[in-house]
Amino acid sequence: MEAVSFEYKAYKPRPFTKEERPYTTILFGGLTFKHERLITGALENMGYKAKPLPNIERIDLDIGKEYIDVGACCPTTFTAGNLARALMDIEKREGRDAVRDRYIFVTVGACGPCRFGQYHESYERVLEGLNLRDFRLFLLDLLQLEQSAEGGGLEVSMPLTLGLVYAMFMGDLITDMEYATRPYEVKKGQTDQVVKDSVEVLYERLKKRPIVGKKLGNFLWHILTDYFVDALKEVKKLWDEIEVDRLQPKARVKITGEFWLQTHEGDGNYNIKRWLEEQGAEVIPPPVAVWMDYLINMELFKLEDAKPFVKNYYLKKLAISFFAWLYRRTYDKLRKALNNIPNPLPSQRELKELARPYFYYRLAGGEGHMLIGKALYALKHKQAHMVCELSPYGCLPNTMSVGAMAKVLADYPELLYAPIEIKGDSEVHAYSRCQMVLTEAKRRAKEGFEQALERTGLSLEEIRDFEEKHPQLKRATYKVPNYGYVGTSANYVMHVAKLMGRLR
Amino acid sequence: MSFLTLPKLLGKLRSSQKGQARRSIKVGIPKFLNIWGTAPFWVGFFDSLGMKVVFSSDTSEEQYRTYGKGRITMDSCFPVKALAGHIGELLHKDIDILFVPMIYSLPSFLRGHVMDTLCCTRVMMAPENIKAGFLKEKDEFKERGIKYVSPFVPFGEPELLPKYLFEGLKPAVEDLTYEEVVEAVKEGFASLEEFDKSMREKSLEILRWCVKNNRPALLVLARPYHMDPGIGHEIDAEFQLYGYPVLWYNYLPIDKWLLDWLGISLDISDVWTSSYSSNTNEIIWGAKFASRFPWITGVIRLSSYECGMDQPTFTPAQRIVESSGTLFFKFGELDETKPAGSVKIRVETIVYYLEKYSQDIIKRKLSRLGEVPKELTL
Repeated sequence: MEAVSFEYKAYKPRPFTKEERPYTTILFGGLTFKHERLITGALENMGYKAKPLPNIERIDLDIGKEYIDVGACCPTTFTAGNLARALMDIEKREGRDAVRDRYIFVTVGACGPCRFGQYHESYERVLEGLNLRDFRLFLLDLLQLEQSAEGGGLEVSMPLTLGLVYAMFMGDLITDMEYATRPYEVKKGQTDQVVKDSVEVLYERLKKRPIVGKKLGNFLWHILTDYFVDALKEVKKLWDEIEVDRLQPKARVKITGEFWLQTHEGDGNYNIKRWLEEQGAEVIPPPVAVWMDYLINMELFKLEDAKPFVKNYYLKKLAISFFAWLYRRTYDKLRKALNNIPNPLPSQRELKELARPYFYYRLAGGEGHMLIGKALYALKHKQAHMVCELSPYGCLPNTMSVGAMAKVLADYPELLYAPIEIKGDSEVHAYSRCQMVLTEAKRRAKEGFEQALERTGLSLEEIRDFEEKHPQLKRATYKVPNYGYVGTSANYVMHVAKLMGRLR
Repeated sequence: MSFLTLPKLLGKLRSSQKGQARRSIKVGIPKFLNIWGTAPFWVGFFDSLGMKVVFSSDTSEEQYRTYGKGRITMDSCFPVKALAGHIGELLHKDIDILFVPMIYSLPSFLRGHVMDTLCCTRVMMAPENIKAGFLKEKDEFKERGIKYVSPFVPFGEPELLPKYLFEGLKPAVEDLTYEEVVEAVKEGFASLEEFDKSMREKSLEILRWCVKNNRPALLVLARPYHMDPGIGHEIDAEFQLYGYPVLWYNYLPIDKWLLDWLGISLDISDVWTSSYSSNTNEIIWGAKFASRFPWITGVIRLSSYECGMDQPTFTPAQRIVESSGTLFFKFGELDETKPAGSVKIRVETIVYYLEKYSQDIIKRKLSRLGEVPKELTL
């Protein structure tokens, strides 16, 4: 019963110095391979060695459970297990001293009351479990443009932050291109190859990005430059080569949910986006950029609430509004380089207002009101036939908005909504729940397509003949306007009819 | 000093008349989640506005099954789900307003590295969630002629508190003025402060008794709503049956002379860096207090099934307590049903250890501290 020591102390990493930078690799993870590769480029551009953690696998769940406290949500367990597996592999390959001295792990914290802001506690349990408490793990604040870890080895400067923002934007845009194209590709596997090639082009561009100015100068350069637009135009040429067949009615499924789970592509969410495609769906993936947009706009909404108590209110409002506008403008500028095939970011004010009768916007934590707002946004803007919300087992905020959806569904019975609880080890259950709603979504997609054919009086043969004469229509980068249908195929029929002068 | 000007006098008279007129307004408040830490505020607040507060009963299986049945629209921890039973029960009482605050942040006595004093996301969002169960088929509040009021309540932003409360209550109380709400918030805080002070004095009195009689005490580390017999299942009372005084972490004395003697401050940065959650921060601080105070020889940790806020704290809280040799016992996964039999068996076992080791623990912890302050031996 003798106590080990009188005092317990929280984990504090050893400093990471500038001198260590050339031979120290920054480990990070939590996004798609596209985002991670581009982030690697942005970090290398700033003189860091960087490497993403291996992609999440089913075994990470078991490893995570072994090391962290019982009752964790599935993203915590998966990511903690993933970190443990990566460190064990490095130790096996390079030895224990290498783990200690040649690698650090950087993750994002400071996200408030949800467990996401406390992930590092679980990572620390991993380090204890592996007897690697001297391994260095650093937390970054998501909203700080400039910050540094103790020792000065890791400095988040304006050029690095903006490089990371562009990496995130371009990762989102390529992901949107991918999911808009793959379900309709004629040559199977071509989209996946082009995704890889595009990511490599953009990685090189990020890696070779000129560093102009330090603070304001650097900020202005990023606002005014066409460097990234030109890179995306080069990438667009790769996508021009993909031939698609849009005459396949497919259910459009919008993915929402907890940040990590909705973004992830792999075993962590049963690879549900690929599975949906195999089942005949076109997936609308969730951009990471929406999350940052939410955080920026929440600052604006909170400021508006506190108006009578804020000094220089109008000045502050102008500053945040400008920042929010600039953020969207930059995203739209990049979208345009890909012929606007990627989806625009939804208006945060609209999401807030749509959710208002059901969920108060200041209830922050996780995605807050956004999940309800996004579901209603998809319905009102005819963006998707169905919303698939990925909710981790044990997620604190998600379960709350899923519950509040009961009233939303009573008010909007036409909304097809599939909340899927993801535990990591109950794949069949999740698929079957999703399948039930997907069946109706597919029926609606087919109905819309047939209705469009009937309205236009076109036959498939006539459309195919027209396509032969106008092969640009079959390019993945050809933008099909919206004619009031949800489905891509229905809108395509309407568009062809318009081009043929047959729109009645 | 301020003079009673004519407009002020007229204002007071009007307010008094309104107060009389509002005596007939009954405000039902479900006794759920963080109402357990803020109830005196609400009593002081509504009393100042001239309204009468009616609380729901303590949580019970019967209440949940009778009134909450069919209202739950998701899987969650029981403390959140139990809100449906409280709301359902109040709908059957004679009330005019059903007041279900979305308590976003709490007042905190901690200082130093406190990044925020937020509530658990489920706790703050529970009203929006449970409300849906009473609206999905028909508006049951409207049907019973009860006005549902659910304002956003950021205790951590006191300047904004009157604004949100006024905006929430105004549609239900037409003659309400912002100035009245500002005053009522002040009354509410005064009432809460007075209550907390009296509870800390009571805790100090118990600790003095332990010192005087050289008797061990137990400290409960939990969430405030585990005081609810239907949530915490009165596990603390089982220890009292064996003669152990039980203290709650949120009402520990915080007198400077005591903290100086123990060598702690109101800061937790040395043991907990993610200091966002008010309850979590105070639990961690309570663990520090328990690890040092000699006559607290055992800690009882209560945690509800699926508590995501507690989960990251399990190891740190236990390590802090055990670092000084203080005994640590966890009753985790508490749910709707009271596991009376297993609780009794565990309590018996724990009492055995407390009896066997308490005196050694007191001696060992005392040996690390200076002379016992005179204020503790009064």
